[in-house]
Amino acid sequence: MASFPPRVNEKEIVRSRTIGELLAPAAPFDKKCGRENWTVAFAPDGSYFAWSQGHRTVKLVPWSQCLQNFLLHGTKNVTNSSSLRLPRQNSDGGQKNKPREHIIDCGDIVWSLAFGSSVPEKQSRCVNIEWHRFRFGQDQLLLATGLNNGRIKIWDVYTGKLLLNLVDHTEVVRDLTFAPDGSLILVSASRDKTLRVWDLKDDGNMMKVLRGHQNWVYSCAFSPDSSMLCSVGASKAVFLWNMDKYTMIRKLEGHHHDVVACDFSPDGALLATASYDTRVYIWDPHNGDILMEFGHLFPPPTPIFAGGANDRWVRSVSFSHDGLHVASLADDKMVRFWRIDEDYPVQVAPLSNGLCCAFSTDGSVLAAGTHDGSVYFWATPRQVPSLQHLCRMSVRRVMPTQEVQELPIPSKLLEFLSYRI
Amino acid sequence: MYVKLISSTGHKVIVKREYAVTSITIKAMLSGPGQLAENEISEVSFREISSHVLSKVCMYVTYKGHYTNSSTEILKFPAAPQIAPELLMTVNFLDC
Repeated sequence: MASFPPRVNEKEIVRSRTIGELLAPAAPFDKKCGRENWTVAFAPDGSYFAWSQGHRTVKLVPWSQCLQNFLLHGTKNVTNSSSLRLPRQNSDGGQKNKPREHIIDCGDIVWSLAFGSSVPEKQSRCVNIEWHRFRFGQDQLLLATGLNNGRIKIWDVYTGKLLLNLVDHTEVVRDLTFAPDGSLILVSASRDKTLRVWDLKDDGNMMKVLRGHQNWVYSCAFSPDSSMLCSVGASKAVFLWNMDKYTMIRKLEGHHHDVVACDFSPDGALLATASYDTRVYIWDPHNGDILMEFGHLFPPPTPIFAGGANDRWVRSVSFSHDGLHVASLADDKMVRFWRIDEDYPVQVAPLSNGLCCAFSTDGSVLAAGTHDGSVYFWATPRQVPSLQHLCRMSVRRVMPTQEVQELPIPSKLLEFLSYRI
Repeated sequence: MYVKLISSTGHKVIVKREYAVTSITIKAMLSGPGQLAENEISEVSFREISSHVLSKVCMYVTYKGHYTNSSTEILKFPAAPQIAPELLMTVNFLDC
């Protein structure tokens, strides 16, 4: 069973450059489980990195300090180092001091993490800002942690204090995501087959329950303009929801096994989903077509084999911020970097027991968390994107596929704009 | 060393030759018949490309030439959605 298509020479694929690693601290000998690192997350402004260290603790690491440590000390980063040289961030108005490390004890096994910022990444929707009891400051940075018992705890990143405790799910909260428009709307996906929408500006009021999954919900992701939410789960489920009316737009059919991860491209024109059927599919979320397929097992498994235990489950997928690269993590001990116009990976890196991956905010580093609580970092393949691609992203940020088809341009360019190349 | 690109309205932009040949079409146009002395500026005139699109293309080729093979952080290139469709057609023609 090969990991790459037969026409690709495995030795010619470039190995990625390792940047560093954060190794989990030695565990107390009486605790066997709870060590796993199920999610890694970067803050939207690139200032912090959240590391679920296992055993109920999350460590918040100032990212530029972490990068500096990697460069100075080679590849190892001592977990309990007390670094005194903290670089200055661009603080606005002195509301926060230099970013500091925090270790947060969450009280239960952490399954999901998400950063939320009240600063919108793009001015896409009108945000009606009302200040309530917690008096969120001018640029609030929050960390939401989803726990084993169904609770969600919201922490302030700058001070490390607990702000809110959201109780409604009855099972593990498997994934959390904030809306990227700064409205501090949080969506949680849980094994109790529902997704819940919370408004953190309104004291954590639960606004809506999204029902439709027949089985565990594994992951959810917002589109960059916050209009759509994708949720994926067991029994091959991939659903798209309209986040203005909270109705289901469509189901995407195509996977043969549980779908465990999803991510939108930065222009919202592509959706990547990873499944235990050894494949990553790239969909057009506006009409449900499959545009590309990234396989991890060759020859491709038959549906019966794909629907069972095939030793090649894909655990995580992440889109890079240049919209051209996708990273995927599978059980064959490899992290693969793909370009969206090739069906074999352009770079690989070795990783055992990987569970999750995420690109950093500027897209230069990929972080992957493993079963024993450690995190490993690699340099992503970077290149200057072609001007055609930059124009395409610029157009697709504001136009769905249906509107693109109406443009008065040659058909070859229409296909390029619809990512059908 | 430098080439002069002329838009449909007569607007002239001068860029380094090594950046301009990022565009395969411009490279083909410049390597046509006729040898020029090294410090002469060759001209290419585009009668269908408007000035704002041409200046954006020149900004891009300079941006690309600067950040290719450089280890500094690559900044985002601003491409506003208002000019993007027209820019896309031109860029498809220029192939860059």
